Amino acid sequence: MYNELVMDYSRLKKYKGKIDNAIVQEGKNISCGDEIILYVKLEDNKVIDAKFEGIGCAISQASANLMIENIIGKSLEEVKELIENVNLMVNGSEYDKEKLGLISELSEIKNYPMRIKCFLLAWKTLQLLIKKNT
Amino acid sequence: MLLSSIRNDFPVLFRTINGNRLVYLDNAASTLKPKPIIEKISDFYLKHYSNVHRAVHTLSSESTEMMEESRNILASFLNAKKEEIIFTSGTTMSINLIVESLIRNCFLKENDVVLISAVEHHANFVPWVRLSKFHGFNVEFVKPSGRLGTLEEQDFLKFKELKPKVVSITGHSNVTGQEINIEYIKSIFPEAILIVDGAQLIPHKKIDVKKLNVDFLVFSGHKMLGPTGVGVLYGKEKYLEVMEPFLYGGEMIDRVSFSDVTFNDIPYKFEAGTPNIAGIVGFGKTIKYLENIGFIEIKNHIYDLTFYALEKLKEIDGLEIYGPLDERHLGIISFNLDGVHPHDLAHLLDEKFGVAVRSGHHCAQPLMGILKNESKLSVFPNGTCRVSFYVYNTNEDIDILVEGIKKIKEWFNVQ
Repeated sequence: MYNELVMDYSRLKKYKGKIDNAIVQEGKNISCGDEIILYVKLEDNKVIDAKFEGIGCAISQASANLMIENIIGKSLEEVKELIENVNLMVNGSEYDKEKLGLISELSEIKNYPMRIKCFLLAWKTLQLLIKKNT
Repeated sequence: MLLSSIRNDFPVLFRTINGNRLVYLDNAASTLKPKPIIEKISDFYLKHYSNVHRAVHTLSSESTEMMEESRNILASFLNAKKEEIIFTSGTTMSINLIVESLIRNCFLKENDVVLISAVEHHANFVPWVRLSKFHGFNVEFVKPSGRLGTLEEQDFLKFKELKPKVVSITGHSNVTGQEINIEYIKSIFPEAILIVDGAQLIPHKKIDVKKLNVDFLVFSGHKMLGPTGVGVLYGKEKYLEVMEPFLYGGEMIDRVSFSDVTFNDIPYKFEAGTPNIAGIVGFGKTIKYLENIGFIEIKNHIYDLTFYALEKLKEIDGLEIYGPLDERHLGIISFNLDGVHPHDLAHLLDEKFGVAVRSGHHCAQPLMGILKNESKLSVFPNGTCRVSFYVYNTNEDIDILVEGIKKIKEWFNVQ
């Protein structure tokens, strides 16, 4: 699970921080207490910027960074499709590998049921943010 | 019994985890189970099982006898009366029972003070905090002023003038591994109803409840080699006699009419419904098994392991150990490695080295907040890694753990 991609993306700094005047959503993994605050800026139904704050394990941090990298510039419809495919991937179901790009290199997460919550923290928070704001 | 031969009683210790031999260091969450206790439960189910107390047939009579034999064993273990031993599902239920019954009997009223500590497990925290909202008593918290979560005696002394009605305190922290001096607490609050959460204490310490003079002592079977789903509530007869039951139903009654109910004698009035009979039978066997090893031997062994582990862990740069660094620290060690989240450390210890440790908040979120404030780490994660020892652990287990942590530190390339 701890491949180079996870290690590199877990330490990425460029998507960490606050964005003024963005939509804010907090998320929490109650099993470990890790928290995330997600900032997403929308314009014409498109994600024009996104960042996050929070402390977490390498898997949750790598997943959050990969998520942000993959949603910036995407339409809400595309983002929803991305979330759907991520959920399929972690459940071990068929999914569109091309749509997920680099994220699919973390597909092994499906074999670690105790870590899926870490992986999905950012994604569930994004899902909630979209549900509340569209 | 020699501790070196004990491992043979635990077949699971000989299985491999991800290609490595299992090193089980999550005993504070739950211990492994030895063959003699599993066989006792199996034999009970295969040859004697029936419901207890009510029927006149042979199986029911044998089951009742075996269950009551366990009560005798537990009573003599604690130097209590048989009537003072109530079987529950575990520590959590025992504490909920006490809190609720104290309220129903008006031992605990509006504006009374309940004193607990900030290092409590949620089981001895949440019931008080939640029920205080409904019943108007006040909960005060003893905060640890010592080293990274360590409770000092003067921390309790501050509350002497407050004259708490109830003092409910852990005997041994499940996070910092600190053993709490109950005799001292009893001496500052002689008037208070004293409840001791013994979940982490009783596995390595034989308590004489008469000598210690506690009013209630609660603990679980599964943290001391016994089955899950069974625990004990010891309560002084004078309280149990007058306390209103927590659960109503079958077995706990004396007479039932359309207008009212009278209750069975203690301990039965607190044991509504069909109990965990096989679990209770297994718990009795557990006490016998541990007494056969000897509680002094158990404590010495755990003390040696703790000392050995603390010395080795202290040598790792960037590793922060919580709780006291003296003889009060026993059996449980919580720590963080700077720059590595506890979940990553726990995951990799299991995956690469076969070492089972705990990571997270250990059902003690208020304490995590305190540790966060005092931590010298560059970033404090919302939790810690925790290792905990029991009778079957060895110095070699600790060597494997320490080597594992050092390797993971290299992989994460933290300075």
